[in-house]
Amino acid sequence: MLKFQTVERDSIFSHLDFRSKLLMMVVVSIVAFVWESPIALAALTFVVVAACLLAGVKSGYIKFIMKVMSPFYLLLLITHGFWNIEQVKSLTGKQVLTPLFAFPHSWWLIGGASMSLEGFLYGWSVIFKTLTLVMVIPLAIFTTDIDNMIVSMVRAKIPYKLTFIFSSTLRFFPLLFEEIQTIIEAQRLRGLAVEKMGPVQRVRIYAQIAVPLILGAMVRSQQLEVVLQAKAFTGSAERTYLHESLLHRSDYVVIALCILLLLLVAILYFWFDVGKYAWILFR
Amino acid sequence: MGSFSVSIEPLVSLDKVSYLYPRSKKLALCDISLEIHKGEFLGLIGPTGAGKTTLCLTLNGIVPQFYGGRFFGRVTVAGLDTVDHPISTLARHVGVVFQDPETQLIATSVENEIAFALENLCVPREEIKERIPRVLAAVRLEGTEHKHPHELSGGQKQRLAIAAALAMQPDLMVLDEPTSQLDPVGAEEVFATVRELNREVGMTIVMASHAAEEMAEYADRIVLLYDGRIIAAGTPDEIYAQIDLLYEHYLRPPQVAETFYMIGKRGAPVNKPPVRMREGAMLLDTLYQQCTIAAPKNLSMPVFHRGEPLLSVQDLKHTYPDGTQALQGVSLDIHEGEYVLIIGQNGAGKSTLVKHFLNLLRPTAGTVKIGGVEVGNFSVSELARRIGYVAQNPDNQIFSTTVGNEVSFALRNLGYSAKEVEERTVESLEAMGLLDVRDAHPLSLPKGDRARVVIAAILAMKPEVIIFDEPTTGQDFRGARFILDISRKLHQMGKTVLVITHHLYLMPEYAERVIVMGKGTILLDAPIREAYHQVELLRSTFLSPPQAVLLAQQLNHRERQDWKLLTPREVADCFVCHSNGKGGMV
Repeated sequence: MLKFQTVERDSIFSHLDFRSKLLMMVVVSIVAFVWESPIALAALTFVVVAACLLAGVKSGYIKFIMKVMSPFYLLLLITHGFWNIEQVKSLTGKQVLTPLFAFPHSWWLIGGASMSLEGFLYGWSVIFKTLTLVMVIPLAIFTTDIDNMIVSMVRAKIPYKLTFIFSSTLRFFPLLFEEIQTIIEAQRLRGLAVEKMGPVQRVRIYAQIAVPLILGAMVRSQQLEVVLQAKAFTGSAERTYLHESLLHRSDYVVIALCILLLLLVAILYFWFDVGKYAWILFR
Repeated sequence: MGSFSVSIEPLVSLDKVSYLYPRSKKLALCDISLEIHKGEFLGLIGPTGAGKTTLCLTLNGIVPQFYGGRFFGRVTVAGLDTVDHPISTLARHVGVVFQDPETQLIATSVENEIAFALENLCVPREEIKERIPRVLAAVRLEGTEHKHPHELSGGQKQRLAIAAALAMQPDLMVLDEPTSQLDPVGAEEVFATVRELNREVGMTIVMASHAAEEMAEYADRIVLLYDGRIIAAGTPDEIYAQIDLLYEHYLRPPQVAETFYMIGKRGAPVNKPPVRMREGAMLLDTLYQQCTIAAPKNLSMPVFHRGEPLLSVQDLKHTYPDGTQALQGVSLDIHEGEYVLIIGQNGAGKSTLVKHFLNLLRPTAGTVKIGGVEVGNFSVSELARRIGYVAQNPDNQIFSTTVGNEVSFALRNLGYSAKEVEERTVESLEAMGLLDVRDAHPLSLPKGDRARVVIAAILAMKPEVIIFDEPTTGQDFRGARFILDISRKLHQMGKTVLVITHHLYLMPEYAERVIVMGKGTILLDAPIREAYHQVELLRSTFLSPPQAVLLAQQLNHRERQDWKLLTPREVADCFVCHSNGKGGMV
């Protein structure tokens, strides 16, 4: 059974209120967006991944993310390495880029294309940027109890209806996943040899799952609506909460540190070029 | 009647209620007038489509406030008109428990589930914290506060739904077929909880259910609905004794009532068939003095299948990745042409065993063979040609836009020629009586027909074995018989049939052999007549033998015989009576 993942380790992150972690997520994401330097972004990724491991996020999960993202990363390196020319020229102020290698002119279509060091490194900076954004999510979400997450979201003035959609997604996602498995199983039992199929055929088959899945989801959503009505749910924000969300001293410290970090990054970036693409590498 | 008395003032009053769903031309409820009193346990019975759910939903205003449509008449609950008061206000007075344990639990932990409605009703946090342990104790779920609803069994989930409804401290608890998706243990847990609430706390209960034996035992009053109308209302003794009326409306009487009805038909002085076992047992004792007991004739005997088994399992063990030992050394042979019933509680290993036949699971140890060859040598799709599998929900097995395409889906996958695809499709559609709806969308057909589409699709592959996995769960009596009749037809065609079900009373007319599973082992493998009479063993794994079997055992004890009778008719056939003018059927 697929369940909402939570970490088992007791760390500073599991003691923080979700609002502090939400702010941390936002600040790290802003920094990752602003920075272009592969060195700075690599350092940021390293810190976030290390924090994940420290918080108890399983290394298997991190490996899984890397595996899933790897084709996309390869594509980033190729496209930026070969074709991101004008942007890296303007970022580095160079007129001529440093070639790493080029395809012979005689080759069809790609003949003469040259991979530049600057483009290649820019590709890495985008990779670190996305990796930071992806890894900061489990750091905040997996270390938070769902109850705390929901109440914190409401306290953070996120509309209750949205919060409810979020929590019921967490509740019903495993059910949907189970249903997909059942349908695929039913198709295999009708002679569908998924294991012998090519990727195109597989996509076509998976599209067919949509029919029973959507039907099931529609039936279920109407049942859910009736259940919610019977439980006096109106979507109104005027309600009480069983769980509390309290900010402790450690939360205030984290919030202060996040704001300070954001200010520091802004000052260093705009006045001292720290984090800009050419920082250290091309000066 | 419980220890709490039923008050004279009605808690619920329905006055000439009729209701039409939007875009429907047929009344879902028609001229219903009914009063429900405080402390009463009212049972609602009727076949699928009779209007039971609609009636339940009128009690908390969901009909008509949520659905819309046209509503006539008046419903009041605790003095509140269900049209004039918002559903959220009515929710304080009416707790509802629905059929599907999965859909009605919406929170991510047990305590949150209970708190959800209270939070919506703005109950202060401290009071919510006080109510949670109280209602969990009432349904015997103490200590599960922080569990995810997924970690609970089916019976526990329904009990949690009851606890969540109970936390609102309602005047009325409405339960809409709460046990229809559960195994016998789960159903027993729910009935025991509801009975306790009714008898100990005086909670007013309205319960719709197909479980005739339990309703006869627990309800104070029964209302029979059919086509949106009240056909009859009265005590269980009055309603369940009217066997012809129940037959006429596609309902199943308790087997004890059916047995004595048939004995009465044979001239015995049965003024009114008893509807509960203890009264049946007493009446049986008095009838001995007035009737002659004759040895049963023409009891069908099991057919012995010899030779090489079609399916063979040797010392099969299976351990799931989480460490659960689902099968612990299972060995059995199934021969061609057998009709095998597999029973046991959820978690007994039934589905795990069947999944090994289909190669959907690999053995941790031991072997599974089909026709002498290990199933591991075949792919799932290759095995599909030989073993057809009909899952519980037909809608998860329908992928195509026409009935014809659905039936040919497997044939195209298996690479048959266009001519053969066409021939087999027509043959299969004909066998299931679906040729007329070949071009219809499968999902436009009624549920029973959708099940037939799935069976036709499987039949097209011409499998040797067909497995029905809980085909009777969630079905009314007519629906369950419909699918089982198809299984018999397939058996008569020479197919080997395996059926998994919890409904033992349905199977004597179909199955030849019974495999009782418990805790990953085979507890019993015997012909059905032997197996059903192993009452203690069945009870030890929380399976209830049909009432006719219990009456037969009483008969055997008295007559010092060992007749393996299974059905009400077989028990009744032993009675040779001569009407003395006082008796006879009513």
